[in-house]
Amino acid sequence: MRGRFPAVARRRPQVAVAGALAVLLAVAVAAVLSPWLVPGATDQDLVLGITGPVPGHPLGTDDLGRDVLELLVAGARTAVPGALCVAAGSMLIGNLIGLPAGYFGGWADALAMRWADLMFSLPALLVAIVVAGVLGGGYGLAVAVLVVLFAPTDTRVVRGAVLEQRHRPYVEAALLKNLSAWRIMTRQIWPNIASVTLANGFLNFAYALVSLASLSFLGLGVPAGSPDWGRTLADNRAQLLVNPWAVVAPGLAIILTAAALNIVGDWLHERVDRRGRAR
Amino acid sequence: MKESTGTGATAEPAIRVEGIKVRQPSTGRTLLSEVSFEVAAGESVAIVGESGSGKSLTVRAMLGLLPQGLEATGQVRIAGERVDDDPRARRRQRGGVVSLLMQDPFTLLNPLRRAGRQIADGLPKGADAAVEVPRLLAEVGLPANVAGRYPFQLSGGMRQRIGLAAALAGGPRVLVADEPTTALDATTQREVLSLIRRVQRERDMAFVLITHDLRLAFSTCDRVMVMYAGRVMETGSAAAVRHEQFHPYTRALLAAEPPADRRLAVIPSVPGAVPAHDAAAGRCGFADRCSLAVPECRTGVPEPRPVRVSGNVREGRLSACLRAAELPAPPAPEPGVVSRPPVAAEPVLEVRDLRRWFAGSPHPALAGVSLTVAPGEVVGVVGESGSGKTTLARCVAGLERPDGGAILLGGADCSDYGRMGRAAVRQARRISQMIFQDPYSTLNPARTVGATLREALWADGRPAGPDDLARLLESVGLARDMAGMRPAGLSGGERQRVAIARAVAGEPRLLICDEPVSALDVSVQAQVLGLLAELRERLSMAMLFITHDLAVVRQIADRLYVLESGTCVETGLADRVLDAPEHPYTRTLLASVPDGSGDWLD
Repeated sequence: MRGRFPAVARRRPQVAVAGALAVLLAVAVAAVLSPWLVPGATDQDLVLGITGPVPGHPLGTDDLGRDVLELLVAGARTAVPGALCVAAGSMLIGNLIGLPAGYFGGWADALAMRWADLMFSLPALLVAIVVAGVLGGGYGLAVAVLVVLFAPTDTRVVRGAVLEQRHRPYVEAALLKNLSAWRIMTRQIWPNIASVTLANGFLNFAYALVSLASLSFLGLGVPAGSPDWGRTLADNRAQLLVNPWAVVAPGLAIILTAAALNIVGDWLHERVDRRGRAR
Repeated sequence: MKESTGTGATAEPAIRVEGIKVRQPSTGRTLLSEVSFEVAAGESVAIVGESGSGKSLTVRAMLGLLPQGLEATGQVRIAGERVDDDPRARRRQRGGVVSLLMQDPFTLLNPLRRAGRQIADGLPKGADAAVEVPRLLAEVGLPANVAGRYPFQLSGGMRQRIGLAAALAGGPRVLVADEPTTALDATTQREVLSLIRRVQRERDMAFVLITHDLRLAFSTCDRVMVMYAGRVMETGSAAAVRHEQFHPYTRALLAAEPPADRRLAVIPSVPGAVPAHDAAAGRCGFADRCSLAVPECRTGVPEPRPVRVSGNVREGRLSACLRAAELPAPPAPEPGVVSRPPVAAEPVLEVRDLRRWFAGSPHPALAGVSLTVAPGEVVGVVGESGSGKTTLARCVAGLERPDGGAILLGGADCSDYGRMGRAAVRQARRISQMIFQDPYSTLNPARTVGATLREALWADGRPAGPDDLARLLESVGLARDMAGMRPAGLSGGERQRVAIARAVAGEPRLLICDEPVSALDVSVQAQVLGLLAELRERLSMAMLFITHDLAVVRQIADRLYVLESGTCVETGLADRVLDAPEHPYTRTLLASVPDGSGDWLD
């Protein structure tokens, strides 16, 4: 019988998780320490102009002679906090609406879900572009718009998770103990769906990072010339052939961070989830 | 084991399994070892054991269907062909020589395909489905037009019959059934088992039945093999093992199954739970729970050996007990008190003409049920699925709103919790509490036992200090250090104890029990029933005990209500109803309880 069923350990490769954690750590360090690490990231060197990788500029420079690597490090400071705000904000709204919607059902649920449907029917990025265009843009506004646009996804995820728990006997036992609805939602149900919302938050973070970069790319996020991954990518796309790194590097930074977030999010979800499951 | 008749020479058995061992290489654990048995053509063998005994793994290893990550060694010969080292031979045999009948009739069929096509899938190449499918349906006792129906149009029993027809389609010589009737009602179970046995005899197939129910095994199969902690404990012919057991575990298992025909003072239960195979390495797996164990039981693994009583070998009997020949006769269980008539006091629960009709259902779940529960009285409500017994419990608990009728708890109207004031709801919740069937979802997986019970004490207005918590845990037979554990670390029986502790934290006057032991192993079931009986005495608590199991209800209830399709067909003192049933439905239910005799299925 040997060999018929090879023992396969079905686990996420530890290397991938370690790599993802390393990427996130590097991004976090860059975001926090960039003013001290690269104080002169935006210093221009118009004499040098744009060039490919040369000694002193491992990733070359952009057309204003700014070092691409330094711009990348400084860009984390703009890109990451905004995405974090979007993920956290939409998670908060999602829980505040999704928990009671799933728990009480009825008209509260119907109201929340029709609101979510309405929001889903709007193309997120397009709305952000229009709002930013009408109200004059700016980073804070872009973040706020994305929070509102992301919240329905969180709401639906939370509501679905609550519905799954709602009729479990442990919730009914809590009802029979005459515990308040608020207590049941926060102390009984929420700990069981926290891992789901957390995992969704990580996905949102990655998605917000890309969305904010897209908005910056379109000129609706951070002002032109600021160090930001999306902005740098946009500003240099005309120079793709002169210094491809000025375009590829910020693009890679966005992709790598988003991918790392997804891996870590899944990994956390599995770890937290395993705690409660029967062996 | 059985010699084929007529040929003179010993024919090759249909199944020969030698020294099977299942390991999990990633953890180095061994899950079962040294399992050997044979099944002759036309013979039926039941593999019996509680969860964790390794009965399912044995059969999966035999069939090459182990879950991923497990690895088996040992020799398996099926129909004369060695298959353990030959995946191609296995594939060739599957669906042809060997067929498997699954446990759950509700998931074994593809919901999107008609029954007839699913049966036709198993037919050998070249067979004419238009001829064969109706023939197979007739064999399992279904009309030919069932072939055109989808699984959702069929009842559980019919689905299991379709499953059997599909399993028979390839003309198997070996049929394996893994708990084929556990998910079915008692009356349906008897029909399906009777059918399987008839077909098995007509086709002269070798049949292996996996079951947790020793009596059912006796009634269905020629031989039984009892497993425990991944080893074989005892084998023998069904009649012989039923008559005389040569292993203390077999005795304990048999004793823990409550009888339906009489009430015992105490159901003999074995303390503790089935150990993991590795935890019992190098000694008898049952030694730690065995009252007859001697030091030698812990110094080596006893092999199953022929039983020799006063010099004579008992034909076909094997026992893994060192003391098989010298086991003392088991004490006769003490008969219990007969059911007590209710005290003449104001009932703690009164239900009047309760009605509930779920939207979209063709029948009412409750069509006017009335009952009373006196203080301190245990009232059993029995019936099959669809009888409305669970709906009744949920209405009384306030988890379901009845369409009509009245529910009075301690004299106060509790028919509609939505219309009651806060104080009235609190009062009602303090009078009645509920325990649920499924031990796995009854506790919040994210919270520790301590947090759950502290909250229960607090909600019931009791002090919730560490000592109060410890006292509550001890009152249900759990150690105080269990407070720090999460449900995932507890066994089914322990979880149910915690759930009971949660319910009785405020000493309710009425405990609603919705099938509280039906998901538990028999030995654990006996423990939990003992606990409930003890709590009832100590707290002088009344119980509304919902169950499908007449043997269980016999052990605990004073009075019975028998429900059929939402109406109460018979009521009375438990002894009277079970000894002299008046309604035909009650008689049918009683006849469906396995009694262990060979003619139960006839």
